[in-house]
Amino acid sequence: MLRIDHIVKHFENLTALNNVSININKGEFFGLLGPNGAGKSTLMNIIIGYLESDSGKILYGDEHVSKNNLALRKKFGYVPQEISLYLELSAYQNLKIFGQLFNLQGKALENKIDEVLLLVQLTDRKKDPVKDFSGGMKRRLNLAASLLHDPEILLCDEPTVGVDPQSRNAIFDMLLQLNKSGKTIVYTTHYMEEAERLCSRLAIIDHGNIIAEGTLIDLINLLNQRDTIKIQKTSATSSKISLIQEIGQLTEYDFYYEVIPNTGFERNSKIFSKLEQIGIPNVFIQISRANLEDVFLNMTGRSLRD
Amino acid sequence: MKNIIRLVIKDIMRFINDKPAMVLTFIVPILLIIIFGNIFGGSGGPRGKSNLILVNESNSIVARLIEAKLDSSKSLKPVKTYISENGSDTLKYNEEIAKEWVRTGKMPAAIIMDKNFFADTSSTLKFKFYYDPKNEIESNIIQGNVQQTIFTQIPRVFPVLAQRNAAKFLGNDSTELFIKGVGKIIGKYFGVQADSFINQATKIDTAKLFSSSSDTSTENRFVSNLVKFESEQLVGKKITNPGLTRTVGGWAMMFLLFSLTGAATSLFEEKQEGTLKRLLCMPITRTEILWSKYIYTISLGVFQLLVLFIFSWAFFGVEIFSNFLNLLIVIFSSAAAAVSFGMLITSITKTFNQANGVSTLLILVMSAVGGSWFPTSFLPDWMQVISKGTLTYWSVEAFIQVLWRHASFSGIAMHVAVLLIIAILINSYALMRFKRGVI
Repeated sequence: MLRIDHIVKHFENLTALNNVSININKGEFFGLLGPNGAGKSTLMNIIIGYLESDSGKILYGDEHVSKNNLALRKKFGYVPQEISLYLELSAYQNLKIFGQLFNLQGKALENKIDEVLLLVQLTDRKKDPVKDFSGGMKRRLNLAASLLHDPEILLCDEPTVGVDPQSRNAIFDMLLQLNKSGKTIVYTTHYMEEAERLCSRLAIIDHGNIIAEGTLIDLINLLNQRDTIKIQKTSATSSKISLIQEIGQLTEYDFYYEVIPNTGFERNSKIFSKLEQIGIPNVFIQISRANLEDVFLNMTGRSLRD
Repeated sequence: MKNIIRLVIKDIMRFINDKPAMVLTFIVPILLIIIFGNIFGGSGGPRGKSNLILVNESNSIVARLIEAKLDSSKSLKPVKTYISENGSDTLKYNEEIAKEWVRTGKMPAAIIMDKNFFADTSSTLKFKFYYDPKNEIESNIIQGNVQQTIFTQIPRVFPVLAQRNAAKFLGNDSTELFIKGVGKIIGKYFGVQADSFINQATKIDTAKLFSSSSDTSTENRFVSNLVKFESEQLVGKKITNPGLTRTVGGWAMMFLLFSLTGAATSLFEEKQEGTLKRLLCMPITRTEILWSKYIYTISLGVFQLLVLFIFSWAFFGVEIFSNFLNLLIVIFSSAAAAVSFGMLITSITKTFNQANGVSTLLILVMSAVGGSWFPTSFLPDWMQVISKGTLTYWSVEAFIQVLWRHASFSGIAMHVAVLLIIAILINSYALMRFKRGVI
């Protein structure tokens, strides 16, 4: 559906995107995960036609995405990182202006405004100036403004930056609902948790390069790493810890022990059963799974938040 | 105390890194001091002389004397010839043409010494002075300088005028006898030769006239009765509120520049807020966005000026409706030029703060140099040349033409053309930059 093909973009001496290629399928919730400055927003700006790439091409179906292809913009909805709203105007006035610029008018526009306000749960604040809204409400309206023209694909550039957990969850639910209704969503974030929770497929980007791409399971499997076991350090556990070496490789930390299981202990039930046998109760045990943070760390040697 | 010092250092560091603040704090005042210093302090170059048409049709020595003194004046620049309309001939002004030039604003004043200025039998010197007080201060300065020049030279011809006056009342023969009699008495009691006194009273010593510069106030009192200085205001006699009528255009233009530059540079605000990016993701072109901004800003400018002029009419009697169509044309072209200035600032700066600093600097300098605050004739010659490069100058002059002189369209055509050409050129450049995505 959306084919990003060998995109290169330089800003003076900085290579923002280095030969980036991604395919996004219809109906996917596609995540672009990377630290700040990795090139996520630059790629998004090229997809929406705000910036032009130095080389490479982007195709939506058979159509070339470019600054001059205005017709294609009707198929794209863009949720910017910034609160891109006229703060002194009301929610309704903002939506009316943006709707009209997508050639919506009359009853159709009014209905669409009501529909998106209902979706983002701001119907009762329709007439209020946006400047009086909370951060989370502004974010929701920011999303609503991108849905007025019923786009086929929704491009979200870190749409939850600076939002409280409650509003963030509300936005997640809305996006999942939209995806379920058939919209393709491209979502950039530097929050691993968001990517894991929302995205059916992901690409990890760093310094303008795509370093990995696939489903969450695909990416974690790249690590070839088993779950790790953490055992709380207490008098009860410390006395028996030497017996654990049978299960796996042991590392001692200030407040806990970490065990990476040996072959034969891939299944958690077997680990729990062995620990119980040793005399370490379940209450002191925590199993940690590898996550995208580990994938990023493994591939770049850095944390996502570095 | 240490903490206070650390906080002070913090503020100093922030200030040093805030270039627009530096510009507004130091560069703007320094430039304004340079401009005011040149006008009122006389530093930085000679102050400009005020132009004055001089028509001398008299063959008398006295007229030549006054012409020579006016030529050497430090504050007046007598202009005696003009280039014909086809540009090929240099012609001498006559009284009618001089009046027409003053009436149409090409010259601020004219002094006329016609053929009868000092005829053989004249007992008075007749000067005609025509002026246009569009700049009241300048007009007063010219008139004052002309009168001073004339009155300081007249005492040398006072004896001749006195003799002619005496002749008018006593007759020529009696006057001669009278002068000889007076000469004998003075010679007898004051120890001077009678012939010398008689010569002084009846003949003009040309060499002495052109070299001497002495004067006394006593002589002046006599002279004032012997000189007719007929001054006539050619423009603005019927204007109810001349002061405001003359200055309203200048102030209007300055505020127009501030408001419209602010509106034009709001593109930066939209860019910063992200709304510009949202618009650019919609099925609209960059050109459409720029045109919308341009039309809105011009409309705002036209409305602002209309409100300002209608207020001046309602509360201060500034006459705007007798030449309303031309006023509208000037308002529109001034607004168009002011918006283009804003667009230029937007296209050459990178941030809102930068645009704000640069525009404030340029607007204040253009207002000072372009005639918003005081007549450009007060400026040194080199600054008057710069003045004509500012859109403020052309706008202020056009407003004066319309409001003060009630000029027809031909009287403002050049001003309007200059303003619109500025607008078109600058906007084309801004549009090109915007289309390239530079803004």
